[in-house]
Amino acid sequence: MIEREGGYGRGWTAVVLLLMTGAVLLTASHSFLAMRVDPPIYPGPGVTHVVALSDYFEGLIGTPADTAVYILEGSEPGGTALVLGGTHANEPASSLTAITLIENAQVTRGRLIVIPRANHSAFTCTEPQEGYPQTYTIETPAGPREFRYGSRGTNPIDQWPDPVIYVNAAGQSLAGSEVRNLNRSYPGSPSGNLTEQVAYAIVKLIRQEDIDISIDLHEASPEYPVINAIVAHEDALNIAAEAAMFLEFEGMQIGVERSPANLRGLSHREWGDATDTLALLVEAPNPAQGRLRGQTTAKLIVEGIDPYYVRAAQRGLLYVPFSAEGHPIDERVGRHLQTVATLLDVYNSYTNDDIVVAGIPTLSAVLEQGLGAFLAPPSGPESGL
Amino acid sequence: MTIIYQVITASVILLVGWNLFREKRLVEQMATALVLIPLILRVLMIK
Repeated sequence: MIEREGGYGRGWTAVVLLLMTGAVLLTASHSFLAMRVDPPIYPGPGVTHVVALSDYFEGLIGTPADTAVYILEGSEPGGTALVLGGTHANEPASSLTAITLIENAQVTRGRLIVIPRANHSAFTCTEPQEGYPQTYTIETPAGPREFRYGSRGTNPIDQWPDPVIYVNAAGQSLAGSEVRNLNRSYPGSPSGNLTEQVAYAIVKLIRQEDIDISIDLHEASPEYPVINAIVAHEDALNIAAEAAMFLEFEGMQIGVERSPANLRGLSHREWGDATDTLALLVEAPNPAQGRLRGQTTAKLIVEGIDPYYVRAAQRGLLYVPFSAEGHPIDERVGRHLQTVATLLDVYNSYTNDDIVVAGIPTLSAVLEQGLGAFLAPPSGPESGL
Repeated sequence: MTIIYQVITASVILLVGWNLFREKRLVEQMATALVLIPLILRVLMIK
């Protein structure tokens, strides 16, 4: 203890400060703990049953990583598709697309399995020092509906410490922080860390449900080269190329990237290598993610407008066009929905085990009416207009 | 491993709390109280 003369500190001032500390703690705790409560998802008429990811790997039971799996089964038998949203909880178009499918899609043939919060733990925190808001809202006809903005990786409360070097289950050496990145953890391991267990459960789901085509939805910063693109395992390259061609015909610019064989641990590589599924990953541009962005607000996440990215685009620093209109969430989710629908159409042209899904909003419909028009009201379908 | 981390953090909280009551300068007391906030959030595994 260091004692100094001439101070005003007394026993009662310590008590007052302690009470003030308690008040700050209560407020902060309430805010942080609220992140652990999932905003509701309202299954639409197409959802036939909801299971848990832990049904595929019981090691996840009772953990913060367990997450809901929505199954939409048609009346006629056919193939099965998996759509994964929320691998990275700071890429909102990913989980919002999955939620839009859950609340709108209706399968007439085959099955569609949707996981909207693949890394559930990542939705319970934000990235340190990034200034992200905890929530953002989408305007629906019945009022604003709130969604959670999360982190790229598993919450460090749930999995720690990070190693200096992370060697994943596929043998790839990565930076230590990638140990909490679900899309570096495939094919996962039942005895690995929490993120690897989630990856293991998803791979087991793909095998157990005999998934024919798997689509992992993402977003990327505008200065990242793999953007507005479909990344495909070599087994799925034809489908990706054909889908991209159709999307371009419809006026939606999208590229195709081959999954690098020597970059291990990613969904498009390991799903394709470890299972019989056709593995694809889709990227959209998220201005709230990049290093060049300005103030990080819920408005930026939803409206996607950032003057610094406009200047960066003028200097040729970006891999996507960036005008004053930005890249709003309507466009990003619409792109994902259109890409999922087109990939399924192309897949159906190659097989007799069709997956026929109705009710997927098109890009033009989402741009015209806004994403909120396709989401359930904030308090559920009964509270709608 | 988590329990060891929590024991270490709780020990630091006790020492910082002790210092809060022994400190004679108000400004140092205020700084000490601020230090307690993240430590308590950590020991309770809230943040």
